[in-house]
Amino acid sequence: MTRLTRRAGLAGAAATAALASLRPRAAHAKTKLQVIWMGWPEGQVKPLMDSFRAAAPEVELQVETIPFVQIFQTLEVRLVARTPDPDIFICDSPLTASYAARGHLLDLTPHLDASRFTKSAIEAASWQGKIYSAPFGSSCPVLFYNKKLLREAGIEPPPADVEKRWTWERLVEAARKLSKPEENRWGFSFEQQERPYMLLPLAQSLGGVALSPDGFKATGYIDGPAFLEAYGFMQKLYTEWKVSPQGLFDPNLPVEQFGNGRIAMLVAGTFNEATIKTRYPEIELGVAPYPRFEKGKAVTPTGAWHVGVNPRTRNRKEALALIDHFMSHDLQVLWFELRPYPPVLKSVWEKEAKRFETDMWKIVRYELEHTAVPRPATPGFREYEDILRTALRDITTGADVKATLTAAAQKIDRELEKYKG
Amino acid sequence: MKHGFREPWSIVAWFLAPALLGLALFRLAPIAIALVGGFTGTRLTGETVWVGLRNYRRLVEDPSFWNAVEVTLLFNLIVNPLQIVISFGLALLVLRPTPLVPFFRAAYMAPMTVSLSLTSILWAILLEPTMGPVNGLLRSLGLPPQPFWRGEDQALATLIGVASWKGVGYWMVFLLAGLLLVPKELHEAAMIDGAGAAARFRHVTLPLMRRPLAFVLVADTAANFLLFAPVYLITQGGPAGATALLMFEAYQAAFTYLDKGRALAISSVILFVIGVLALLELRLLRERGG
Repeated sequence: MTRLTRRAGLAGAAATAALASLRPRAAHAKTKLQVIWMGWPEGQVKPLMDSFRAAAPEVELQVETIPFVQIFQTLEVRLVARTPDPDIFICDSPLTASYAARGHLLDLTPHLDASRFTKSAIEAASWQGKIYSAPFGSSCPVLFYNKKLLREAGIEPPPADVEKRWTWERLVEAARKLSKPEENRWGFSFEQQERPYMLLPLAQSLGGVALSPDGFKATGYIDGPAFLEAYGFMQKLYTEWKVSPQGLFDPNLPVEQFGNGRIAMLVAGTFNEATIKTRYPEIELGVAPYPRFEKGKAVTPTGAWHVGVNPRTRNRKEALALIDHFMSHDLQVLWFELRPYPPVLKSVWEKEAKRFETDMWKIVRYELEHTAVPRPATPGFREYEDILRTALRDITTGADVKATLTAAAQKIDRELEKYKG
Repeated sequence: MKHGFREPWSIVAWFLAPALLGLALFRLAPIAIALVGGFTGTRLTGETVWVGLRNYRRLVEDPSFWNAVEVTLLFNLIVNPLQIVISFGLALLVLRPTPLVPFFRAAYMAPMTVSLSLTSILWAILLEPTMGPVNGLLRSLGLPPQPFWRGEDQALATLIGVASWKGVGYWMVFLLAGLLLVPKELHEAAMIDGAGAAARFRHVTLPLMRRPLAFVLVADTAANFLLFAPVYLITQGGPAGATALLMFEAYQAAFTYLDKGRALAISSVILFVIGVLALLELRLLRERGG
């Protein structure tokens, strides 16, 4: 960790005072860094922040944590004010382009050594050839299942081998045997029942493309045949086969129901493994890869949380020091221990190889290298995500798939208009 | 003499100043900002530019805007008369000072003390289709469970129900105050003239209730036009746009679509509609003659 500017403390020494008088701010005040962070449990946030506090005692770190359901709105309100606050903010990787296009992210290309990061992480951090957000974690959902429930129903569990991954058709067949809707028992659920992040791969597995290559047109893409087929299939999980509980849009709810043994199989992010094991120790947890369609290919979602610097910050040096600290090998290992997202640093994968020998991490490693498709790169991702999310929500509750997707595509086109030239 | 006249005016001005300042700062200024802002757009880099009627032109061409207009009008057409009738009924019920009346008055007013966001969360849980207690109760009675918030044809009705659960007790208080001001002598005189209960209600109570009714109607309409929390917290305008009230559209324009001009244009439309409706309602309930 390199030393930060030596301000503070030395008031009285004439030389320093003279130097300090040239600076815009009082020399004796601690430099304040305002940070907006995700509302993860305190135990997963504080150790990271404390680690920086210890490394840079001359900086006063003020951290605001915002719950997931509010974080994007909150950031929007704070950023459009175009003030120096916050200095640092957590940035969902697919929003990198959105923030960058609107001048809310400092270009980190000269500052980050891209070769330290995995290729997919750098891709997710880039917009028009420059790196605008510092990759902090990646992601990869897997299929968790409750071994006991499957055994009791006489179902052979899904193999962990990526080459032999289950098809959605096979999964539904098993899920129907495991479901008793009238007793609130369900064969399967997505952790994120309405989020494009988790559901785009369904359509992509059938060859669907999420957005036009120039990033401005959804009509002809999300209302194309692959999407209609994939989301028609998804709808039947809720309405026809009744293997998934409707309306658990808060991602915590399906995980909780899985933990309580009410849901037998769950497609969910890797970080849930730790949560499930600590909160529901009695569960016999099995892990398999994200399924594909019988006639389709394997596709998985990826991308996750990055860290961005407000270009209007008055404390650029300190803000960049925080970025350096957070991208250091040691802190990334600590972060992995706190909340196991797939790491973005090559060195973590290499030096911590032992941790990645489990079934789950073998799957994740394969997916990140072979099947992961990032969300579409468009400055209008925020609008895209929200409109498609609402459409998916409606589809799970039985709305006409074609009409819903067509309307959503038109709405997205309308909103992306503003980013053209 | 002149001096004597001037002084009271300056005193009056001083006393009025804080209120007028507050009115200008917190009411008129935001309205002006919204009206002017409806004609502007924001560049990607943050500069505000004049775009003339573009925001309005886009609204007119936008089917989701018209859906929101339709939903908002339908919602208000039902919820306002419904709330007034129920709260008037409740006020009449708790008017006479019988022994249990204080209990009922308090019970009807109780939902008023719960914040709207808490109300929303409470009813989201109670009416949750899969795990909610209301459907549990229906099932145990052998009745089919209902989709409530998640049914395209039930969501708006559910919203009306919840808004009324919270609203009627509040409006009841104003109407009750109005009823208590109706002079007893008028009722007694009418009784002596042989008027029955229905006739007295129609010819004595109702005419004297015009003013409180006008206030409640206008205030209730404005409150319901601005309803936002349950839509934001529970339905997000869905399913399939069934609860997409204009306020939610304005919110989405500002915070999801990052389009301040559109949001302000929608706000201006809401303001205009409320203004027109308030005028109509006041006219409808204006006291006629002497």
